[in-house]
Amino acid sequence: MKDINIKEEYPEKNENREPEVSPASTRDYNHSSTRGGAIIKFDHVAKVYKGDFSALSDINLEIQEGEFVFFVGPSGAGKSTLLKLIYAEEMPTEGEVYFGGKPISDLSRKKLPYHRRKIGTVFQDFKLFPRRTAFENVAFALEACGAPGPEIMEDVPQILDIVGLGDKMEKFPYQLSGGEQQKVVLARALIHKPLMIVADEPTGNLDSTNSIEIVDLLLKINKLGTTVILASHDREIVNKATKRVIGLDNGKIVYDDAKGKYKIR
Amino acid sequence: MLTLSLYVVGILFFVIVAANSVLKNVEEKINVSVYFKSDVAEERIMEIKKDLEKYAEIYSIDYVSKDQALDDFKRNNADEPVIIRSLEEIGENPLLASLIIKANRQDQYQAISDFVANSSFNDDVSRINYSKNKEIIAKLNNIIREVKKVGSSLAVIFGAVSVLIIFNTIRITIYTHKQEIEVMRLVGASNMFIRLPFVFEGLIYGLIAMIIATGMLFVNIKFMAYYFPSLIPSQDLVSLYFNNLPVLFAIQAGAGMFLGIISSWIAIRKYLKI
Repeated sequence: MKDINIKEEYPEKNENREPEVSPASTRDYNHSSTRGGAIIKFDHVAKVYKGDFSALSDINLEIQEGEFVFFVGPSGAGKSTLLKLIYAEEMPTEGEVYFGGKPISDLSRKKLPYHRRKIGTVFQDFKLFPRRTAFENVAFALEACGAPGPEIMEDVPQILDIVGLGDKMEKFPYQLSGGEQQKVVLARALIHKPLMIVADEPTGNLDSTNSIEIVDLLLKINKLGTTVILASHDREIVNKATKRVIGLDNGKIVYDDAKGKYKIR
Repeated sequence: MLTLSLYVVGILFFVIVAANSVLKNVEEKINVSVYFKSDVAEERIMEIKKDLEKYAEIYSIDYVSKDQALDDFKRNNADEPVIIRSLEEIGENPLLASLIIKANRQDQYQAISDFVANSSFNDDVSRINYSKNKEIIAKLNNIIREVKKVGSSLAVIFGAVSVLIIFNTIRITIYTHKQEIEVMRLVGASNMFIRLPFVFEGLIYGLIAMIIATGMLFVNIKFMAYYFPSLIPSQDLVSLYFNNLPVLFAIQAGAGMFLGIISSWIAIRKYLKI
């Protein structure tokens, strides 16, 4: 049985980061898990937004460490909500979401930032600062966590190199193409060396060439050990990747294929 | 608005300082004068004086002889020839020797006055003069109390309004920085990292308001001192302002920063989802 021990597998550079998972919670996790190694577990999760709008109902699923998972489905199916529950933007109305065996709802407000540092997020609309260069946008993620200057100067160019923007570090977002902007976002998401990348429609604003590039990058990142969760309704990229596909409709899981295709019901 | 409320606090503070200075001035003039019958010898009066000096309530006793009293009287009425002439007409000194008693505290005068009236040497006493300044002091104390009441309620009202306004300003700032805040949260910025700029903003508002309010007060004081130079006897308004500037500054800065931080904190609590 593979234990989740964040600290061992991801040696921490920053002492600010979340202390390792306590033995007690690991035991809990082992007890409740059937397969082991699940980095994410949804246990009878339901989410009802204000105004009695039900976004998700009775979601049960596990995502193993190192997996690459697509969430597909029409708009309003609950993909974004599901991802928000993972990075603790929203809390479930019912049930529990476990991250590394620990219930997310147990995290205090103080600990939430440390939780989010373990998860890199990528969005359709990039969410870059328009008046900061690519370098500054990525560096900001480190600054916001109190990383020291030398670390920033060393890590940021490295990560921008990995996503293929080594020569465009000083460019502002408006000087970059959509695909390049999304790569900056990806670099920002990776800068904390997260356990997991959560991407919500990362290719929604990109043409197919750029989309494929971004997904290829994500696949590469996944190969290096990072779990990737990607919500999309881009049939082409989902079908091309032949990874696990979880279909959502009306807030429910309608299918879950290990080497799936984008299905229309 | 915060400026206005700090300005009110400043005025309040200053009026209290000024009134207190007037009060002190008047209090210094208050005393119990014990006049002795004209046939009482000076030695007897000195004896009584020595006797009285033993009491803890009494701060000082001054002896004013008949001649001295006459001199004082003549000096005070030097520009009224009728009085001077009528004095000369009488020929002998009609004034009485007296002991001027000052108490440690204002509320002890009544007791001293009563004590002298009931003492063994009462037979030698012609009359006891107290109550001359009593009413003035009571009035002044009343005014101070009223000013404090009105001023504090004004300050509270203005303070509440300014909290609301700063709160709103910060709310707008939070709204305009929505995206930035969202990114900060997503990249795992600590809560303090997100909040501090807004707290700082509130604090800056408080400080700016303080500086403006203190400046406004200064201009006002200058104006007052120019047009009403005799508003406070024996004290120059401007120097009174400068003497109390550090305390005034401290009060204003404290109140300003407190209000600024409180209001931004409320806004953060309410609108900054972390």
